[in-house]
Amino acid sequence: MTSQTPTLRQTPFALPTFNRESVIVSLLAILTLVGGIAGVGRLFLGLGSTTALSDVYSWGIWIGFDFLLIALSGVGFTMAAVVHVLHLEQFKPALRPAILFGLLGYVAVLLLLVLDLGRPDRFYHFILFWNVHSPLFEISWCVLLYTTVLAIEVSPYLSERLGWRKPLAWFFRLITPVTIVGVTLSSLHQSTLGTLYLNMPHRLHALWYTPLLPLLFFVSSVLAGLSVAMLVYQVAVRIRRKPLETSVLTGLGKGVAGVALFYLLLKLADILIAGKVAALFAFDRPSWLMWAELLPGVLLPALLLGLPSLRRKPLMWWVAPLLVVVFAIGLNRFNATLFAQVNLPGDALYTPHLLEWLSTFGILSAAALAWYVGMRLLVIFDSRAEKEFGH
Amino acid sequence: MTTQPTQTVTRRNFLKGSGVAALALWGLTATTPAAASSGAVDDDAFGMLIDITRCHGCNSCALACKKANDLPLSQDPPTCLDCKSYSYINECEAAAPDSAEQTRYVKRQCMHCLHPGCVSACTVGALRKTAEGPVVYDSDKCIGCRYCQYACPFGVPAYEWNNPLGLIHKCEMCFERLQAGEQPACVEACPTGAIQFGRRKDLLMQAHARINFDPDRYVHKVYGEYEAGGTSVLYLSDVPFADLGLPTLSDQSVPHYAEGMMTKTPVVALTVAAAATGLHFARKDKGHEAADHVDQEDAS
Repeated sequence: MTSQTPTLRQTPFALPTFNRESVIVSLLAILTLVGGIAGVGRLFLGLGSTTALSDVYSWGIWIGFDFLLIALSGVGFTMAAVVHVLHLEQFKPALRPAILFGLLGYVAVLLLLVLDLGRPDRFYHFILFWNVHSPLFEISWCVLLYTTVLAIEVSPYLSERLGWRKPLAWFFRLITPVTIVGVTLSSLHQSTLGTLYLNMPHRLHALWYTPLLPLLFFVSSVLAGLSVAMLVYQVAVRIRRKPLETSVLTGLGKGVAGVALFYLLLKLADILIAGKVAALFAFDRPSWLMWAELLPGVLLPALLLGLPSLRRKPLMWWVAPLLVVVFAIGLNRFNATLFAQVNLPGDALYTPHLLEWLSTFGILSAAALAWYVGMRLLVIFDSRAEKEFGH
Repeated sequence: MTTQPTQTVTRRNFLKGSGVAALALWGLTATTPAAASSGAVDDDAFGMLIDITRCHGCNSCALACKKANDLPLSQDPPTCLDCKSYSYINECEAAAPDSAEQTRYVKRQCMHCLHPGCVSACTVGALRKTAEGPVVYDSDKCIGCRYCQYACPFGVPAYEWNNPLGLIHKCEMCFERLQAGEQPACVEACPTGAIQFGRRKDLLMQAHARINFDPDRYVHKVYGEYEAGGTSVLYLSDVPFADLGLPTLSDQSVPHYAEGMMTKTPVVALTVAAAATGLHFARKDKGHEAADHVDQEDAS
């Protein structure tokens, strides 16, 4: 367990005068405000006048960021599984920043989805009208249920802050089934996001289209989860001015390296077995996009965190997970949604509308801001209840 | 660690929890009918046969389509499928058999696939493959997610971009007219007999008969017989189909892999839940020991 002495005094939420923290927070608040106005505007004006979407490029950056954010929010189920299923208790300090990121990530996902829906007033229809063969149907249900699971998982952070003992006791009794339900729901929809693209054999470039897509999406969500866990833990200890436990980061780093290598092997095996080597070495646009995923996104972070001498360097704890987030996950989800979509009419083009950018960054900023407030106000480190109620 | 007192409670609650999950999964698989996209295709289902060699591009079909579907009329005939045009004539410059460039008129509309990607993909089951053949759309269910547009290899479903509460629009093979015993409006309007309506199996027989009767006139292939697992709309042509803007597709239906995965959902869910439960109990004590001696190698 942690060697710090538990302290009752939590940092009160008050904006500092003028430093880096307050500048970032103010910036996020402004982006949230502007994005909120843009988002509400879109709901009243419709998609035609507020987006660059068309019948050919019908999904744009909202969906791109949505699918990216679901993968990144995989940090919630990944860390819950690490701590509560695998019982690797040494990673407990990184658990709560991760779970809260997961919850707010999914809330942002839901907001982005509502913006993208042609009929946002009917967002609940998937509860009434079922199509069990539809990947989006399953994803909708899982996201709804898993967001609820995350809310339950976050609840003790608030209960303890407010001194509510009964809900706390209940939570710690239920933590195992709650975690397992969360891991199950996540495994389902993270892989089903890959299945979603299996319905596009005519549109998705062969380098990406493979029956392995569900497995690739699931494994990459674990890769994303471990990377985001490293990042948010480091930000959280800075916000709360706690000492950094380096073993947490080197341990997670090992995990990132291992999963990255496994993911790389899967991708290469698919390319080899399906006879797509020529496409990989075609050095056309799709080929470069795939290289950009594999080298800086997967192989490089695997090396940076796989080699013990590099893994101990604090710089790598930022660089490697950021490379994963941007290239292995971010570029991959945008390739699948936009850049690797082929066989489209030649004159089709999609340059996102300013309002799409503003509303996207508004929602992302709101989530970041809420996470920051959570880090300041909730019980994140050295939970006394956890010690008292066991687990 | 003070885990002992709560352990049994945890296990009991877990069993309760997994019981509920299993029930929910059972409900999911037991209470919902299989999507129409995977069902057996009715041999007597209707279809259309479009003979490119007989079309002169008069646009009567496109006009009749607009009238039948109450779509706004425009000065010029439509040049693409959109929310205001469910059918149009695509003018293609193709290399004719005598190698002179000649215009071909390709009537385009929904192909009414036998195993439609759009039907399989639709989040809320707003799209449905009817036993009669047409792929129909229930606008009351649609949430406007536009996944159908990605799952269609022919670029058919169109979204109403300029409506704040926009919906999807597509050809339904005049399903209401069919139910009233009439033919689709475009078929009725065609003055040259280039579009024929009938049972798909009869149309296929007729198409092959035409090819056999006049093998020099036609490309020896019926487009739509096997494309994307087969379509209810079939084409005959004297020039390669790729020159007509019709996509070159494999014989595999669009939802082949996705539906294969989706039907495994309950199995995946139960496997993951069981594996996680097993791991939890197997590692419960080991985990607590491991926590006491943190990885020494990297701690420095």
